[in-house]
Amino acid sequence: MAFPQLTPPDRRVAAGVCGGIADAIAVDPTLVRLVFALLALAGGAGLVLYVAAWFAMSAPRREKPWAPLLLVVIAASLALGALGLSGYAVASLALIAGGLTLIWRRGGSLRPGAPLSAAGVVLVAGGFVLLLARGGPADSFLAPGAVGGALLLVAGPWLWQLGVERDAERTARIRTEERAEVAARVHDSVLQTLALIQRHAEEPRRVASLARRQERELRGWLYGATIDGETLTGALAAAAADVEELHGVRIELASSGDCTVDDALRQVVLAAREAMANAAKFAGSDEIAVYAEVDVSRATVFVRDRGDGFDPESVPADRRGIEESIRGRMARAGGSAAIVTAPGDGTEVELTLPRAGS
Amino acid sequence: MKRRVVLVDDHRLFRAGVRAELGDAVDVVGEAGTVETAVPLIRELDPEVVLLDVHLPDGGGEAVIAGVAQERPAVRFLALSVSDAAEDVIGVIRAGARGYVTKTISGPELAAAIERTAEGDAVFSPRLAGFVLDAFRAGERVHGDSELEELTAREREVLQLIARGYRYKEIAARLHLSVKTIESHVSSVLRKLQLSSRAELTHWAAQRRLI
Repeated sequence: MAFPQLTPPDRRVAAGVCGGIADAIAVDPTLVRLVFALLALAGGAGLVLYVAAWFAMSAPRREKPWAPLLLVVIAASLALGALGLSGYAVASLALIAGGLTLIWRRGGSLRPGAPLSAAGVVLVAGGFVLLLARGGPADSFLAPGAVGGALLLVAGPWLWQLGVERDAERTARIRTEERAEVAARVHDSVLQTLALIQRHAEEPRRVASLARRQERELRGWLYGATIDGETLTGALAAAAADVEELHGVRIELASSGDCTVDDALRQVVLAAREAMANAAKFAGSDEIAVYAEVDVSRATVFVRDRGDGFDPESVPADRRGIEESIRGRMARAGGSAAIVTAPGDGTEVELTLPRAGS
Repeated sequence: MKRRVVLVDDHRLFRAGVRAELGDAVDVVGEAGTVETAVPLIRELDPEVVLLDVHLPDGGGEAVIAGVAQERPAVRFLALSVSDAAEDVIGVIRAGARGYVTKTISGPELAAAIERTAEGDAVFSPRLAGFVLDAFRAGERVHGDSELEELTAREREVLQLIARGYRYKEIAARLHLSVKTIESHVSSVLRKLQLSSRAELTHWAAQRRLI
């Protein structure tokens, strides 16, 4: 809002005060004139106020605007007197108002470190004392309100600023914590992976698997994808990522349906992991497909490679991988494992577990 | 005659990578990074195949398909994404994409998938096959009068084998069918998926996590 200017002579009624104020706050000038007229009925306050406004508006940049201020105080006193307050009450309110003005003009409020005008404090205190000590019965309703209002005016900005500072502090702290968490995460994962990649720069397969694992992990963290042990596909994804990293192969994971992992299913995941690791180690193919299917009656996991295949009869009896880690484990969990393979024709391991309650 | 291809992906680096991987196999005639630039570009260039990211900054692959399909019905779309969310992938397929492959696909495999898309065949990666099986099974599970037309036993068998990592040729050999027959089964699945109602799949998306 611009400071009101006096209305130019062609449109003014008296000194152009009401028109100027109306322009500045964008209301109808008649309304402003009406307010001044009503105030004039309150012990002549409107007239004094009009003169004060005229002073202020005809020379707004005057060094010491005491004259209009003084007139405003007089106007307010007249208005309060017209409302039936005793002279003491009016005087004490004037004192309080004057003190507050002093305090505000000398550096604001009770902000820590802000200068506090001694004269202002004395004036305010004097006003309170006068009001409480000499105010008549008619003023008694006024005293608590005046004290509260004055305190609010002085201490309010200070309290408000305290609040703002505390909020800012909290936001900054949260931000710092978040940044620390991201930094820790990046350090633990991305930076470690980059270091590993630098060390293995001559082994493209290993670099690729490191990058893939990192991508999965980061994606899981950013978008909440499940690479955890909670669900079957999540657990399989984790196992696949391990095998990819250990053996430098690529594992394509597909699924249809999902369920939470119980003890028996955990065995299925371990058996599947063993099958993936076998495919990675022995099949001579760097691509492995894993498919998990869950329906109401059973969970099935297929692990397939397109590699060399083998003759199941020729596996030495002391090689415990398939017998123990896959077949034995599935049998103990209450399921079964089937292995379809032939030399030169790849291998597919099928793990089936009936679901409890079906 | 090399296939004319437009790449739509918001990562310039990734587009450069795909271009390099594809090499001389196809003719990449244009690239775009947003829905806003992709739609007029595709309309103008009229390529045979558009490689389309499922997620774009100003909308999804679906928006690109919707903006182009009317004017250039011959353009075929192949979704290419790392997105793991089944409902996003199914959404693009339903909008009209002929298939979905993951970004980790090798150059030659991608070139083969583009060729298949250009021929009008469906391209189902193992992951997409899993999603689709999921969607149809959920349809059966929830309603008797499912709007999602059911898969035939054969279609289901084919999809399962794709999910298990078998290629069309291997599936054909295993089922004693021709590759052409396998392709027609897959296309029929795609058609059923695209004709099904939106509500059905929304329901599926909400239900799909745990059985």
